Amino acid sequence: MVVPQGSLGTWDWKSIVGNMFPLLVVLSLIVLWAGVTLEAAEEGLETFAILAVMVPTMVDMGGNLGAILSSRLSTRFHLGTTELDPRDRVLWANVAAILALAATIFTALAIGAAAIDHVLFDATVGFGPLLLISLVSGMSVAVIAIVFSFAATYGSYRLGIDPDDTTIPIVTNVVDVFGMVIFIGVSRAVLGF
Amino acid sequence: MSVRRDFWSIYREALPILFVALGGGLFAGLVLEELVESIQRFPGLFVMIPVFLATRGNVYGALGGRIASGLHQGLIEPRFDWSDRLVNAVLASFINGIGISVVIGFLTWVVLEWVLRWEAVAALSELVGIMLVAGVLTSFVMIAGLLAIIFAGYRYGYDPDNLVGPIVTTLGDIFGMLFMLFAVLLVGAIL
Repeated sequence: MVVPQGSLGTWDWKSIVGNMFPLLVVLSLIVLWAGVTLEAAEEGLETFAILAVMVPTMVDMGGNLGAILSSRLSTRFHLGTTELDPRDRVLWANVAAILALAATIFTALAIGAAAIDHVLFDATVGFGPLLLISLVSGMSVAVIAIVFSFAATYGSYRLGIDPDDTTIPIVTNVVDVFGMVIFIGVSRAVLGF
Repeated sequence: MSVRRDFWSIYREALPILFVALGGGLFAGLVLEELVESIQRFPGLFVMIPVFLATRGNVYGALGGRIASGLHQGLIEPRFDWSDRLVNAVLASFINGIGISVVIGFLTWVVLEWVLRWEAVAALSELVGIMLVAGVLTSFVMIAGLLAIIFAGYRYGYDPDNLVGPIVTTLGDIFGMLFMLFAVLLVGAIL
């Protein structure tokens, strides 16, 4: 098979697969840790069914927050509008917005979960503990997402790597793992299983 | 004053997207809860779930980002056609999406059996089989759905960059879990 050279450039399927697949395998190995934590909490998930319902959101939301912040930071680096100066007040607006988004969305998660818990599982856990679990794990993940986003964007910028290509997937997956592990840990502590 | 304005603009832009993702996540969670009983039948099943969900975002987020850039640069047209670029991008996503699913099944088995030395692990063929079925079905729905929504959104004047993230997270969670449930039932019935 003759592959047209040059015309397709980075759109050639072999170059896309060749660039991405090794990264996907590495990321899978990292996230596997989250999976082991999840399965080890099997008894808790059987007793408190609502925890299983919260799992996909806990896996994704930290990564979503990290992705929003990372892409904003990398755009600012590309535009040369920031030098990561702690006196840069726009950076603090970004951080504050991420924390506010986390507080809002994890409160909403607790409300949604409590409603499902009430309707389907006879309110086994109740709103109070769900809010505590959701907010403590959610806000911890948000802080981790912020720290990782800054470190990765700044680090890749310094090393001359485009943060859009590799660091954002890495940051979001690492934050996903923390989301899972922290969620199971906090649930264990609050519900005692 | 500008700090407060920045704060609210970021908050307002991102919140609707995150709420869409939250709705998708809760629905996916209900499907996942159906799978809890299946851990006894397939020990190791739950280890694969976060990995499977996370890779959906990686593979199809990359495809969406590429299509969005391609539309912006005028390299591809906002419709399904047999243009070289679109075909290559779609083919690469199929290979990445299905390939990594099979690798996840394999890696999970290897890590549980040989590294962590769990006493009971589902057979390699069962874990790989579940991932293969779930991976193939998800890739068809994700690629077709993602392209259809991005193309339609682009023609109606939405910036595809703002569409990709929430579509991938929401569709990926919902269809990833639905097809995983289907794959568990199918493999449970056959093997």
